[in-house]
Amino acid sequence: MKKIEKEKLLKHLEGKGDLVRLDEARQDPLSATKSSHLPREELLLLFRLNGDKGVEIRVPEGKGGKILFGVPPCEARAVDLLDLTFLKDRIDPYYERKRRENVLFVLACNKPRSTCFCTSFGYGPFSGKYGDVFMVDIGDNLLVDPVTEKGSKALEGLELEEATPSDLEKMESLKRSAEGAITTVNIEGISEKLKKMFLDEIWADLAFKCVNCGACTYVCPTCYCFDIQDVERTNWGYRERVWDSCMFPIYSLETSGHNPRPTGVERMRNRIMHKFSYYPELYGEYGCVGCGRCIRACPVNFDIREALETLKEVEVAA
Amino acid sequence: MRGNPYIPYPALLKRSYFESDDFSLKTFEFELLDGNRIDYIPGQFCEISVFGKGEAPFGIASSPTEGHILKFTVNKAGLVTTALHEAEEGSILGIRGPLGNGYPVEKFRGKNVLIVGGGFAFTTLRSLLVYLLNSRSDYEEITVIYGARTPGLLLYREELFEWEKRDDLKVILTVDREFPGWEKQVGFVPQVLERTAPSSKDCYAVVCGPPIMIKFTLPVLEKLGFKPEMVYTSLEKRMKCGIGKCGRCNIGPKYICKDGPVFSLAQLAELPEDY
Ligand SMILES: Cc1cc2nc3c(=O)[nH]c(=O)nc-3n(C[C@H](O)[C@H](O)[C@H](O)COP(=O)(O)OP(=O)(O)OC[C@H]3O[C@@H](n4cnc5c(N)ncnc54)[C@H](O)[C@@H]3O)c2cc1C
Ligand code: SF4
Ligand code: SF4
Ligand code: FES
Repeated sequence: MKKIEKEKLLKHLEGKGDLVRLDEARQDPLSATKSSHLPREELLLLFRLNGDKGVEIRVPEGKGGKILFGVPPCEARAVDLLDLTFLKDRIDPYYERKRRENVLFVLACNKPRSTCFCTSFGYGPFSGKYGDVFMVDIGDNLLVDPVTEKGSKALEGLELEEATPSDLEKMESLKRSAEGAITTVNIEGISEKLKKMFLDEIWADLAFKCVNCGACTYVCPTCYCFDIQDVERTNWGYRERVWDSCMFPIYSLETSGHNPRPTGVERMRNRIMHKFSYYPELYGEYGCVGCGRCIRACPVNFDIREALETLKEVEVAA
Repeated sequence: MRGNPYIPYPALLKRSYFESDDFSLKTFEFELLDGNRIDYIPGQFCEISVFGKGEAPFGIASSPTEGHILKFTVNKAGLVTTALHEAEEGSILGIRGPLGNGYPVEKFRGKNVLIVGGGFAFTTLRSLLVYLLNSRSDYEEITVIYGARTPGLLLYREELFEWEKRDDLKVILTVDREFPGWEKQVGFVPQVLERTAPSSKDCYAVVCGPPIMIKFTLPVLEKLGFKPEMVYTSLEKRMKCGIGKCGRCNIGPKYICKDGPVFSLAQLAELPEDY
């Protein structure tokens, strides 16, 4: 690993793109990492009707990439999970452009929170394989290590020092104390088990206190559901996509009035199933990174770790 | 489909006319502008845009064998469908597609095909039937059972009556109750299916209709000996993107918009009851 003073690195990055500081905004309820790839509102196209000349359609041009500085490993891992939806099958061009242009400077978490449970998913607060550059704050300096070519490019032209054995030792000790502070939930076998639990009665218990506000899905760095809406204007009208949530009744409400998920019970089931059963079945990865944002955001203290423990306890017929 | 799957093709509404005598259903014929063409198979669908109002998904009622005019039959239900019903001939709308998987027409070659439809879900079944009839000799017996509440609610009546006259095709039309002047079958589709009792031997069945019709039709097919992997149906759920991104149309890990909307009963048996 190399090392550099934080101020020097930040100065180097200035002007290379829109610099977004996440190292100072770790308390923000919404994940800037997610919204830099999938904004809460995003213009898909503009349209103008010209009488008999037909319709003019314009596709908005991208604004250029962002440099996200200080992304927690969990949020960088979450973007890898978003790739599975947006870059597979049919590529989503709006997401793809931002994914290609944005540069992620990941910063190891020295001080995990009480709600963190990332270590349940086979990685941790010091995992160095996510984003484009991995960084560790060892106090006087940042240790840096490029993860991707894009990351190496972003560091080009910088004078980096070699990290000393004592720097590395410092990193190891920070890592040990960070990892030690995190609750690990043993989720082995949960996805296989959930496959048999669609009709289980436990969902009613789990959904009991939920008020279907959708906060958990808005703050979730891996949730990506969106609605598409038109806005009519006399000159150029537009079509945009906006975040949506499977916790809302209207999300699945059909025009006939039929709703396949009429109550919070089916909606809670879908949220948990999507992350712990459907994502693993489709891609071999959980759709949860253990960041704990949903736990912190929930107005009724629904704790996904407790939910997982409860699900583990349920006995299902083989 | 385009590089950017969210951008519709501009489409000229060439003709629109009421399809049912209660004015709830209208058929729309579109031509894509700027020389654009789409390749599709029966059972696929498109998102139609009424710019400023939004988009909604509709099964393609025309057959690719009929030329480049795209036909849809739309029930007036809410925001987009009402705007569509009000659109004048000559207006420019948007069409995105084709979307979804469509019926497995390749499998039908050399086999008998039974088409069972109810109400205004006959749209993609019309596409399928026209497609099969276009190369009639590729298939064995073709049987159609189609019912609606009243004669005036049957889609594509003129065509149906022509098809009825053909001797290489068996068409059975039914309405729910006795109706003045109606001399064909009377009764619900599942009952008429049971009475007709088509052979399940080497036969694929395609069933589309309101949920209640499907519910009572499937046991009859089972009784007639149709195997779950030989029976296909087309599902609907609320949709937006049509390409498996926006999330809402999932049944378990499958997305109806891209993995469906057509599924065999064998495939459905593997999925949770989430629709
Ligand atoms: C694969 C498939 C094939 C289909 N084929 C056919 C067909 O051949 N013929 C046919 O008639 N129908 C068909 N349908 C059904 C058809 O898509 C619906 O009837 C249609 O989407 C209704 O749209 P609407 O705008 O008129 O209804 P609305 O109920 O007004 O909803 C339309 C859209 O308006 C918005 N909206 C409405 N209310 C709200 C709200 N309260 N909050 C936020 N947003 C709202 C949403 O964006 C919604 O998607 C098909 C459906 C599917 C999935
Ligand atoms: S949990 Fe719900 S809101 Fe989140 S991505 Fe899955 S379906 Fe969408
Ligand atoms: S944040 Fe809590 S109350 Fe709101 S939808 Fe999620 S679990 Fe339910
Ligand atoms: S309609 Fe968007 S995922 Fe199916």
